[in-house]
Amino acid sequence: MTELVNIVERKTVPSNAIMLNGLPDVGLVGLIATSHIISELKLAEIAYVDSDHLPPVVVLHEGLPHAPVRIFGNTDLLASFSETAIPADAVQPFMRKLVEWAQSKEVRLMVAIGGMPIQNRQDVREPKVFGAASNKSLLKLLEEKGVEILKGGYMVGPYALLMRYCAERNVPAIALLAESFYNYPDPEAAAATIREFSKISGLRIELSRLEEKGEEIRLRARDVMKRTERELGRMRKTQEYDLPLYV
Amino acid sequence: MSVRQRRRSIFDLMRDYIEDIEALAEEFFEPAYVERPSWDARSCCIEPLCSVFVAPDEVMVTADLPNIDPETIEVTPINTDTLEIKAKMKRKIRFDEFGLAHRKGEFKFFRCQTSIPVSVNMNRIETEFKRGILEVHLPRKKGHKIEAE
Repeated sequence: MTELVNIVERKTVPSNAIMLNGLPDVGLVGLIATSHIISELKLAEIAYVDSDHLPPVVVLHEGLPHAPVRIFGNTDLLASFSETAIPADAVQPFMRKLVEWAQSKEVRLMVAIGGMPIQNRQDVREPKVFGAASNKSLLKLLEEKGVEILKGGYMVGPYALLMRYCAERNVPAIALLAESFYNYPDPEAAAATIREFSKISGLRIELSRLEEKGEEIRLRARDVMKRTERELGRMRKTQEYDLPLYV
Repeated sequence: MSVRQRRRSIFDLMRDYIEDIEALAEEFFEPAYVERPSWDARSCCIEPLCSVFVAPDEVMVTADLPNIDPETIEVTPINTDTLEIKAKMKRKIRFDEFGLAHRKGEFKFFRCQTSIPVSVNMNRIETEFKRGILEVHLPRKKGHKIEAE
């Protein structure tokens, strides 16, 4: 049977790396953060995702076609990144494949970077970053690094599945989620997650360019944000606001 | 592999039915909602991202307005249930700055029209501009009170 999602490798993929995942979600936080890290650390394109579940889209860069969902990397860091909204119907097979692939590459830590929507985000000067982890020792690590733990509530969307599949397969994983807008691109929240990621990974990532280009990013990211919002609605993303049933 | 199916209640069936109708409605209305550009080169306008929140006492409309001069923001009621938001950009933006050399045109304004889903008092609009986000507060019209017995 043909696989629903394929990851096509174009270069040698390192093993035992940290893998960042910046998929379109609330505030495009993960997408903006990962895009900045790829550019700052000059990560090379090493693989792309091919799937009949994804829309028939190619992205042209300097006249050449690229798959919208790609994986970049160097010898110690991998980063998945999507230039288009992931359709709600594709999220499960896509995330399952991504985690399976990461496990086959012996990824030592999966990192989901994203946003956590809050009301009146415009009143918050410095968005706080919360963390979740796939096991207790990683929760302890997050606490040691000063990241407040998301102790309860719902996670919905690509990162929810990433955490679940990683926990099922014993792939170490953390999620770093910054307070963010729901449906406005949020470069400030992206910068906040990068600061926490730097503390955890030990990688030095310069933020000045991201901070300077905040307004330009908000302007450029409008259309991807709009399409992402539509898919988030289909995933019932607003369930993240719900109060949990258990006591 | 055998799959045991739980016996489904009438509520499960109703929920599925409602979800099917919602999906059909989404498919039906989507093209009109999304499939058009978010810009208009003729009027040099870009449509900002916009949201409407309905609270018991007010409706709050927000719009993401990067790269604008706050002094130029105009919020205008078009009729009883439509609001227009317009603002001038600090500098013009050309298509080639988005990496699109094959399109011609430049943008000077943000402009959008938003429908307000409940009755509001358009004469008492209040606005605030915070961290690039415009907030428009519209008090809701009160209905008449019915005393509970």
